[in-house]
Amino acid sequence: MQGADQPLLQTRGLTRRFGGLVAVSDVDLEIRPNEILGLIGPNGAGKSTTFNLISGFYKPSAGTLSIFGKDCTGRTPLAISRMGLVRTFQHGSLMSSMTVRDNILLGTIHGVSGRTARRSRADETAEMLGLTPYLAETAGNLPHGIQRLVSIAIAFAARPRLLCLDEPLTGLNQAEVSEALAMLERIRDEFGCSVLLVEHNMKAVMRVCNRIVVLHHGQVLASGTPADIRADQNVINAYLGHRHGR
Amino acid sequence: MGDNLRLGYWALGVGLVLGATLFVSDPYVASIVNIVSIAALTAVSLRFVMLIGELNFATAAFVGIGAYTTGTLITILDWPFAVAMILGGVFASLISIVFGYVTLRTKGPYFLLIGFAFTEAVRIVYSKSMVLGGNSGMVGIFPPMALDAWMPTFVMAVAALLIFVLFLIERSDFGRILTAIRDNEDVARTVGLNVLFAKIACFAVASFAAGVAGSLHAVVNNVISPGDFSFLLAAFALAYVKVGGEDNIVGPIVGAVLLVALGSYALGLGGHEHIFYGAAIVIAVLVMPAGITGLLRKGRDRFMARGN
Repeated sequence: MQGADQPLLQTRGLTRRFGGLVAVSDVDLEIRPNEILGLIGPNGAGKSTTFNLISGFYKPSAGTLSIFGKDCTGRTPLAISRMGLVRTFQHGSLMSSMTVRDNILLGTIHGVSGRTARRSRADETAEMLGLTPYLAETAGNLPHGIQRLVSIAIAFAARPRLLCLDEPLTGLNQAEVSEALAMLERIRDEFGCSVLLVEHNMKAVMRVCNRIVVLHHGQVLASGTPADIRADQNVINAYLGHRHGR
Repeated sequence: MGDNLRLGYWALGVGLVLGATLFVSDPYVASIVNIVSIAALTAVSLRFVMLIGELNFATAAFVGIGAYTTGTLITILDWPFAVAMILGGVFASLISIVFGYVTLRTKGPYFLLIGFAFTEAVRIVYSKSMVLGGNSGMVGIFPPMALDAWMPTFVMAVAALLIFVLFLIERSDFGRILTAIRDNEDVARTVGLNVLFAKIACFAVASFAAGVAGSLHAVVNNVISPGDFSFLLAAFALAYVKVGGEDNIVGPIVGAVLLVALGSYALGLGGHEHIFYGAAIVIAVLVMPAGITGLLRKGRDRFMARGN
């Protein structure tokens, strides 16, 4: 059995090379139960590569990945998703020709048996994310902000233990960002689901995350609470600039 | 896809058409009914794989495998008719599982080309196999005497039943997985769905229908030869789907009825029916990209809007 403090996900020396380029080098990462972990860094820092390594879409060149205490290095995306780690994609993380209801329903198919049970899980998930008014709409026709929520709803309908979101706030207005953050907190607090948040919106990350890991040139530059990160001189120099540093 | 099924109306319609076939005595009309039913079933099979976003030119090969299986079972092994019909579908389906397992990792033009190559390769196998009659094919594939007078009804009933089963599968949650794979395979995978398995299952179901279409072709014509199952068969099926409309399962049926009727009419004018097919495809693609059913739906929606 896993202890309360055992990390949900742990990487040791995770490295990925593309030809001569080292995209991610020697990354140690840990995601704990009931936390929102922010993964930040400038463009090209290796955030997306790390994300793809964790979700099995890339195989690591070196290093290990363990999920719920089990070694998962080199496992397929399907195997990893079935362990309870569900991710979204930065661009178009939904089925645009299908209705919102069918989109969310898709997330329930593997975990829930029975047509009626799936539908009630999907409706419940939609309700929670405020998507109920859009259930019958075709997903591709909806405004960008709603589409982002649908992506999260599909992933969350699977009731993962670890939800990995790739820049879910991009293109949202301020009100939508606030709603999305409140929702992430609910997902963490009410469902005990940890969240890995890869995000550019620094204010949002600082506000919602329990801990933050900063990547720079494919390596971990710093990690700690938002307060630690704000005060970290390396981070300020490399990334934040003085506006956030003060 | 609307949720109002109106299954009652459809059942009534199919029942009426089936009833009407009982009164068909003219052999020419009977043969047209048979061809339409088989064409519709083949086109529906092709469209079923289009649900996952792939153009399955191997449909022609699986129609051929069904036909040759039934032909062999009836003429060489003397097995019962019903068993020979069902095994035509089963054997096509089994081959398709192996074929799909290997090839469904590819997509788009690659998958299409492999299907095309497979169809032609299988055709060459028939023509080189003496036991299957080589180039001249197999003869004497007869249905039981008792069924002879009811062939159009039988063929249409089998086709309608299979099309209905495919319709039910499409509307199930499994059908939603298929559409999701077409839209965004990665998302399906990340919520724990086995994409390759779903694709193979889709392929196996479609190929069962294609195989039975081939079995029907064999017992209707009594004669089959390798030339019947070239890639052109899949190209015609694609024409039925595109002309009729691919958004719902009625489209390929409408396309099959229309193009077969048009082709038969053109045959009477001097045998240039392919020109009609070509023209119909060009018109369909240019003027009504959603096919005839798509055009009708748009017209209906516009009419409804004006009514309000």
